[in-house]
Amino acid sequence: MLQSIGYFVRRVGRNLRQTPVICSAAIGTVAVALMIMAFFIIVVVNVQQVARQWSREIQVVAYFDKVPGEDKVDRWRDNLEGMKEVERVDFVSREEAFRRFKKRLGDDGDLLDGVGSDFLPASLEVVLHEASRNKTGVETVVRRLQQIPGLEDVSYEPDWLERFDAFVNLLKLAGFVFGGFLLFAALFIVSNTIKLTLYARREEIEIMSLVGGTPLFIKMPFLLEGALQGIVGGVFALIGVWAIFALVLQEGLYGVLMVTGADSILFLSAWQQGGILVCGLLLGLTGSLLSLRKFVRI
Amino acid sequence: MSLIATGRNLMIQLYNVCMSYQKDATALTDFTLKVPKGDFLYLTGPSGAGKSTLLKLLYGAEKPTRGQILMNGMNITRMRSWRVPFLRRKLGIVFQDFKLIHSRTLFENVAFPLEVQGRKRFEVSNKVYQALKHVGLQGKLHRFPLQLSGGEQQRAAIARALVTDPLILLADEPTGNLDDDVACDIMELFKGANARGTTVLLATHDREMIRRYPRRVVSLDKGRLVDDHSP
Repeated sequence: MLQSIGYFVRRVGRNLRQTPVICSAAIGTVAVALMIMAFFIIVVVNVQQVARQWSREIQVVAYFDKVPGEDKVDRWRDNLEGMKEVERVDFVSREEAFRRFKKRLGDDGDLLDGVGSDFLPASLEVVLHEASRNKTGVETVVRRLQQIPGLEDVSYEPDWLERFDAFVNLLKLAGFVFGGFLLFAALFIVSNTIKLTLYARREEIEIMSLVGGTPLFIKMPFLLEGALQGIVGGVFALIGVWAIFALVLQEGLYGVLMVTGADSILFLSAWQQGGILVCGLLLGLTGSLLSLRKFVRI
Repeated sequence: MSLIATGRNLMIQLYNVCMSYQKDATALTDFTLKVPKGDFLYLTGPSGAGKSTLLKLLYGAEKPTRGQILMNGMNITRMRSWRVPFLRRKLGIVFQDFKLIHSRTLFENVAFPLEVQGRKRFEVSNKVYQALKHVGLQGKLHRFPLQLSGGEQQRAAIARALVTDPLILLADEPTGNLDDDVACDIMELFKGANARGTTVLLATHDREMIRRYPRRVVSLDKGRLVDDHSP
């Protein structure tokens, strides 16, 4: 077993030394394909960040007709916080509501002089978990709130929610379609580049088969080579995308997304960088495997 | 044939083998042949007679349309494709165009069949050296095929075919590209392998070679066996 692994590693090393130009072309192709994917992921991640910030605005407010007793508020709060959609429930007293309103009016706060501090209704503000900040989540919470007696009104802006849901869904769909297309195109290009390396060695493949090489034995060095090229391509893609991000993209994206309320521009997370390397590995492996099917026939 | 052929001492048996690539292009028709262990025979006939097709059937590159083929008692006609490499490990194959890998040294080329079989490195080195010494190329271990003459390349190809001590040696026009003197050297190598017990099937249309090295001759024409005689 160890002897076979040693043999395959030696063969991969020798193949890479013997056809450096074609191997570099394969690595370059993987790197470019993964860089395009990485840029796309950066854009999606940052747009999602903006969407997440917008979603913080999504909350449900229930206004009380009369101020309820403290024990009742605690009971309702416990009841609501037991829901999987709910992150936090805040009780806003009449005085607190007045204080907030006055603060919001700012310099015009004196308009409220002479008005009693109890003219605004008390309310429960329900903050939802990030995953439930959508129409379904909000409606579930609203249904539960409507069971509480003494509520005057529940505010949750259904139109805005629908538009937000539609935007998030569009973003996801675009991600899947464009990402899938990019992956497919990358696989096609990588597989064809690897086919070139196999074409250069078709004689060797034929001879290996004639002297009794099993398909796995013949394919293994090429698969390892493809995987190695994929990983090296992935590393180059990450270096390239980091350089372009630091030099150009960060500022450019900030300019575009600043107006939508983005705080900062995110680079790929450690998981996403690992994902790019795994993608490179899989691209190299699958590309080799697809091409080998045609070349290795016993 | 010098000995009476029974099932046990037969190395190759073909029974009513038919092979056609397309509906109306028949390469072999109703072909029956028995080759005893340790035999040396020529397959001869004009171009397109079916010699190469017969060799391809024997090393499992093609499957017959009809009939049965037994190699060393094993029926290879319906052999699963994963078993074909193991059949080939018992064969040595030599081609007219040598089929050496140009980017590999002679040593690496001859080592290939042993590496495929997972032999240990010191065993590979030892056997490759012996095989190349046997064909007179021990001084050119690290040369590349294109740095050698045609005769030397064919000798290297024979070393590769014999390095695993095969039961059967199949050769398709092995002297076709070589001049007479070199062809005689090659024939001596085949004779030597045969003397050590390897069954040899040599496809050729070189009448002069057959006259100079008389052995059993099987003649084909348009895919049919037309003559089978021993000297």
